[in-house]
Amino acid sequence: MSAAATSLLAIRGLRAAYGKIEALKGVDLDIKSGEIVALIGANGAGKSTLMMSIFGRPRARAGHILFDGQDITALPAHQVARLRIAQSPEGRRIFPRMTVAENLQMGADATPGSDAERAASLERVLKLFPRLDERMTQRGGTLSGGEQQMLAIGRALMSRPRLLLLDEPSLGLAPLITRQIFSAIRTLNREDHLTVLIVEQNANHALRLAHRGYVMVNGLITMSGPGMELLQRPEIRAAYLEGGRHG
Amino acid sequence: MAVPAPHPASAEPTAGFGFILKKAVISALVALVLFFLMIGIRTEAGSSGQLIYWTRFGELAAIVGAVFVGSIVIELLRRWIGPVGGVELPASVRGGFAVLGRLLAPALLIFALLVPVIFYKERYLLDLAILVMTYVMLGWGLNIVVGLAGLLDLGYVAFYAVGAYSYALLAQSGLPLPHLTDAFPYVAFSMEQLGPWAFWVLLPVSGLLAALWGVILGFPVLRLRGDYLAIVTLAFGEIIRLVILNWQDLTGGPNGISGIPRPTVFGIPLTPGEHGFAAMIGVPFSPTHRLVFLFYLILALALITNWVTIRLRRLPIGRAWEAMREDEVACRALGINITTTKLSAFAIGAMFGGFAGAFFATRQGFISPESFSFQESALVLAIVVLGGMGSQLGVALAAIAMIGGFELFRGLDQFRMLVFGGVMVLLMIWRPRGLIGHRAPTVFLQKRTEISASLVKEGHG
Repeated sequence: MSAAATSLLAIRGLRAAYGKIEALKGVDLDIKSGEIVALIGANGAGKSTLMMSIFGRPRARAGHILFDGQDITALPAHQVARLRIAQSPEGRRIFPRMTVAENLQMGADATPGSDAERAASLERVLKLFPRLDERMTQRGGTLSGGEQQMLAIGRALMSRPRLLLLDEPSLGLAPLITRQIFSAIRTLNREDHLTVLIVEQNANHALRLAHRGYVMVNGLITMSGPGMELLQRPEIRAAYLEGGRHG
Repeated sequence: MAVPAPHPASAEPTAGFGFILKKAVISALVALVLFFLMIGIRTEAGSSGQLIYWTRFGELAAIVGAVFVGSIVIELLRRWIGPVGGVELPASVRGGFAVLGRLLAPALLIFALLVPVIFYKERYLLDLAILVMTYVMLGWGLNIVVGLAGLLDLGYVAFYAVGAYSYALLAQSGLPLPHLTDAFPYVAFSMEQLGPWAFWVLLPVSGLLAALWGVILGFPVLRLRGDYLAIVTLAFGEIIRLVILNWQDLTGGPNGISGIPRPTVFGIPLTPGEHGFAAMIGVPFSPTHRLVFLFYLILALALITNWVTIRLRRLPIGRAWEAMREDEVACRALGINITTTKLSAFAIGAMFGGFAGAFFATRQGFISPESFSFQESALVLAIVVLGGMGSQLGVALAAIAMIGGFELFRGLDQFRMLVFGGVMVLLMIWRPRGLIGHRAPTVFLQKRTEISASLVKEGHG
């Protein structure tokens, strides 16, 4: 496949399991530089597992993960992060007793970069999410759900990532906040040419945002294509969009 | 007590009397069962070893009655005060507390510096002050592991023991110091005697050995958390103690090690005679000098522990410890190396435990496994938890309260533990996050405005 050569992230035949339960049964996925890719699917389809296996948890049992041509399948999580793959994990997982400023600082701590670069990332994050600027000295745990999600994304952006992985950024958020967060992701992609992989249950939002989408069922990719095209397909509409536009 | 109260004040304030009575009766019954054998029947060994016992039903009735009345009083008080934690202090009072809080640490430090001056004549109080400072230091050391890194360590005393035994054993056998020779292989080792410098050379060595044991403990528990980690560290503490107890050839077993060299003022011994410290500075010799010196020594060691902790908290490694306490998974996703972060917390915490151990050995002049029982670990952990996990000032206050309180209630004899337990329960009800539960942030805003200003100057902004 020549796609692997041009992809920023290329996943080939990835298998992963929790004990005896196989969660990924041979997944292929490509993300080109500057692209937003959405990964949609029902609960338990293996979306989050795929995202987490990029960070080596669970470890791949077969197959390869290539980042910029480098095989990162067996790398420990902290070394994956040092290649500037950043992650906003499912459930946000901000540090509740640390301040917003400290949370953001944590995002920059482990990856190499000069002070000026860090200051620039901080400026960028605070411009993107002005709400965080107002809350810099507040403890993370006192933020609202939407602000926590902004913080989780902002924290990931502090390492100036080449690839941003977002796991369910709309989880438990009001539609208005979800829209704000998705528009911030679009801004990042347009202005900073950030490459994004977004895992979502909110298929409507995610596919509208993404250049391309993948549909996952029971640990396998069953469909892929441009986001808007996937959105038009009747089987997708039936499976993920019934119950209205915010379904 | 025995019955959970289903929202007493809010639900039905008038229909509660029967409930209060029922609760008091149940409490009294529990007390009756509990104290029937403990207080109701008194046993003793007679002159020829036979069992003598007599009943004390009067006292038993008094206790049960006290529990009954007490239960009613507590329940009424609870209704009167309202639910715990619902009390908001007015802003002025809170502001006053904040000012007091800021002044507390400097005031305590100045008081600590003056302790030997104020209590120069009171040998007992000086001894107590040294003991308190030792626990302050141990508390600060364990605070790195438990308070900052969030790793529940029930075997901290192991590192205290490693430090103490390292110092005691090495002071007797000397260090294998290398020196150059003419013949092959040109480097030889001799067990050199350290003389008056023993303490100052062996203090860092003891700390490093303890740190090494910290890493040795750290490796197998890398994947453990919470209660599982607690059990393994508890076992580790016991293993170290049992090895010390049973390795008779090396450690002297239960007999311990005596004749451990006393500390010197950087090589000048604190002894009578013309080479002693007193003669050197031209004052008559007094045994109190050593106590004063020991106090300042442990104060300095404790302050170094405190200073290092405060510095580390502002560095990436300290931030990583705190973040790891909050959420290990998120840390990994941010590129924090959990292995090195955990091991460094164990190693640095253990190192300060080792320093404290070496100090303990040189202060006592004699050590035995009895000094390193699980109770010590529990006491230090209690100090950290009571102080408010992670708060340096809180730990110091808790150490003063616990060790000082222990001495204060010495007159109560066997009821000391009872008072102690009661106070602890009350404190955890009123201040569940510890004496000082507030966490001071380490990253501040002004840094950003400075940097952004410089960016503007460079023309980036």
